[in-house]
Amino acid sequence: MSTVLKVSARPPVFRGEGLFYDGKHAEARPIDLSINEKRGVLLGEGLDWPLDKIRLVPDVAGKDLVILRHRDDPAARLILTDEALLTRLPEKDRSAPVARRGRLAAWALGAIASVALILFVLVPLMADQLAEHLPPEGEKALGEVTLKQIREALDDSGLQPIAFCTGPQGERALRRIEDRLTEQMDPPVELTVHVLDHDMVNAFALPGGHVVFFRGLIDEAETPEEIAAVMAHEIGHVISRDPTRHALRSAGSIGVLGLIFGDFAGGAIVLFVTEQLIEAQYSQGAEAEADVFAHDLMQRADLSPAALAVMFERFRTLAGGDAEGFIGHFLSHPRLGDRIAAAREAVPEGFQPRPLLDPGEWRALQGICEGEQAF
Amino acid sequence: MDTSPGALAQAEIAAQEQRVERLSTLFTGRRWPLFTLVLGTGVLSVLTLGLYRFWQKTRVRRWYWSAIRPGGHPLEYVGDPYEKLLGFLIAVVILAFYIGVVNLLLMFASFSLFQGNVAAYALSFIGVVPIWFYARYRARRYVLARTRWMGLRFGLAPGAWGFALRALWHWILTLITLGLLWPRMTFKLEKYRTDRTWFGDHRMEQGGTWTMLFWTIKWHLAALGVALVCLPILGAGLMPLAVFGFCLSGLLLVFGAVYYRVETRKRLTGEKRLGAIRLTLKVNSLRVFWILLSGYTLSLLVAAIPTGFLLVLFFRLQSAETLTEIGMDEMSQVLAGADRWALVGMTVMSYFAIFLLWSALTQAWVTLPIARLYARGLTVEGAEALPAIRQRPRDEHIEAEGFAEALDVGASL
Repeated sequence: MSTVLKVSARPPVFRGEGLFYDGKHAEARPIDLSINEKRGVLLGEGLDWPLDKIRLVPDVAGKDLVILRHRDDPAARLILTDEALLTRLPEKDRSAPVARRGRLAAWALGAIASVALILFVLVPLMADQLAEHLPPEGEKALGEVTLKQIREALDDSGLQPIAFCTGPQGERALRRIEDRLTEQMDPPVELTVHVLDHDMVNAFALPGGHVVFFRGLIDEAETPEEIAAVMAHEIGHVISRDPTRHALRSAGSIGVLGLIFGDFAGGAIVLFVTEQLIEAQYSQGAEAEADVFAHDLMQRADLSPAALAVMFERFRTLAGGDAEGFIGHFLSHPRLGDRIAAAREAVPEGFQPRPLLDPGEWRALQGICEGEQAF
Repeated sequence: MDTSPGALAQAEIAAQEQRVERLSTLFTGRRWPLFTLVLGTGVLSVLTLGLYRFWQKTRVRRWYWSAIRPGGHPLEYVGDPYEKLLGFLIAVVILAFYIGVVNLLLMFASFSLFQGNVAAYALSFIGVVPIWFYARYRARRYVLARTRWMGLRFGLAPGAWGFALRALWHWILTLITLGLLWPRMTFKLEKYRTDRTWFGDHRMEQGGTWTMLFWTIKWHLAALGVALVCLPILGAGLMPLAVFGFCLSGLLLVFGAVYYRVETRKRLTGEKRLGAIRLTLKVNSLRVFWILLSGYTLSLLVAAIPTGFLLVLFFRLQSAETLTEIGMDEMSQVLAGADRWALVGMTVMSYFAIFLLWSALTQAWVTLPIARLYARGLTVEGAEALPAIRQRPRDEHIEAEGFAEALDVGASL
């Protein structure tokens, strides 16, 4: 340590010259500089800067100039043409204080809270209210637009949206299931049931009475009753207008999320995850209600509500075997176990189901995608 | 010319003593340091999910500003990334309200009344247009308020809504007259901004009239003329000649756009006054055109390397899946042996690499040479009046350029 003390005790005498902008006039004044070692300050005509308060202005293009500032003086600048002084400035690389950082932080917190409020409270609340007042034609149109977007989004080839399966015998079988269920109720909107040619094991409802099955679900199902159970569940969503609420919500919130994360590459991932979370949050309450509706409707149509449990178990097996990203995670959620149990409990004692489709009709339904298709 | 730092400073001091009247502008930045700065800060931006981009913008601007040296005195950019982040957040709150709530209402009304979303999108877009102009003015105000020269602040007086209204009005006039009044719009809007621009305690003024810009649309007119001549040629069935003509017309149109931008800037700058101080700008449109053409071509060529790499990886991923689908599991296992996740990781990385490389390359090959050309073409006359200029107070401007950032207005740099 003694060598260090020796060096610092006798620093070389500093003499230099530079240009000084006093921060008051548009004038550059040549200035002779020296260091007062006893006080530890840089001296010049009209300049008295403590060495530890001098900061180097960063990111200067070209290595020919050294630009210095006083930590507490926002405007005055000293420009040197050599770097000899730099070794004498212990704090040169620390940043100069920024005006009103506290206020900045308060604003930032307020901003984040407001966005969260808009995204998670205001938009959902408004969407729920507006969904009640959307006229049927508007709802139908909203559903059609959303269906088109989904078909385009799921297409891998980038050429055309994925096709509807329209095998005539399969459609007839599908119609029979639909009729069997709707005979027992008074649907507020006309139902439209589609099958999309995609191997995803899933089904969903859209605004305006659209119920959509993916081919994958029909392939995986082993009895027509399982299809009926899923259909009853989706009709439950249609009745409670969940899809309308959801479509309006995402119309409002997707734009906001895109804005926050920008179109810069990294944002897309965050955007996707957040959107999924919102969707999952929305789902949990609504799913339970749709399940209860389905149990009741199945029973009235002389079909066993346990078919829903069978379908859910199939989902779970599939998810366990080859968990497909988010869907896999969602389906393996413990809550699914509760839903399976609830469906089994909904079967009354001594319940006698009435057959739904004959084997020929069931084969036709399973082959609905093999014949005709429409876009 | 001796450009060693010592000699430059000597010349500077001597020039200052003599009170020369003309100050020419030096530009000291080189491509490589800028390229590494943009690339490095870009990587940090990706790693922080875009948060660092406010720091990136600040640092890149600091670099450019310090490279531009009228009379040898570097400009300085003192913008603060925290300010930018905050401004962005404020803008996000307001726009979140707009996009979330107003758009939701528009969407509802559009589906209720017209059974479609076209009306909602159209209205929503029209609603954003004035905000866009507003953002442009606010962004310029922020940048000027954070720009220093010789230790003195620049400034732009408040007036963003006035600017937005005028911009809308002039756009309507321009559209009605099929673009003939575009030069008038350029002049009027620049005058609005220049007349509110301050350096220290001196206010700038935009002299001249809009008619001095009128003939800067001559190349557009030439392009239109060539296209019109080609119509009867096409009608006469001379396909190759007509196609050649249309290509020529397109090229003229692109050059016309560059010429218009350069020439209007030159003429407008030549008529700006700061008290007794005048500015002149000498820039050759053809050189700007050449820089754009060669710079983008070079950038495309270099950025094609990671793009090609990405395509190869992408096809490997695709083919692995296809092989599985058609039942050739053995083949796909050979490919998957290289670890699918490593492949996915490399695909994502090369995807980002394209973005980052492209922005760094275009900065080095397009933005820098053009900034250098403009800077070196600028002279300040009547510099003896400079010492009479005094400092102006700090413009707090809490919202920074948040709207411009959020709406991607693309203000300078």
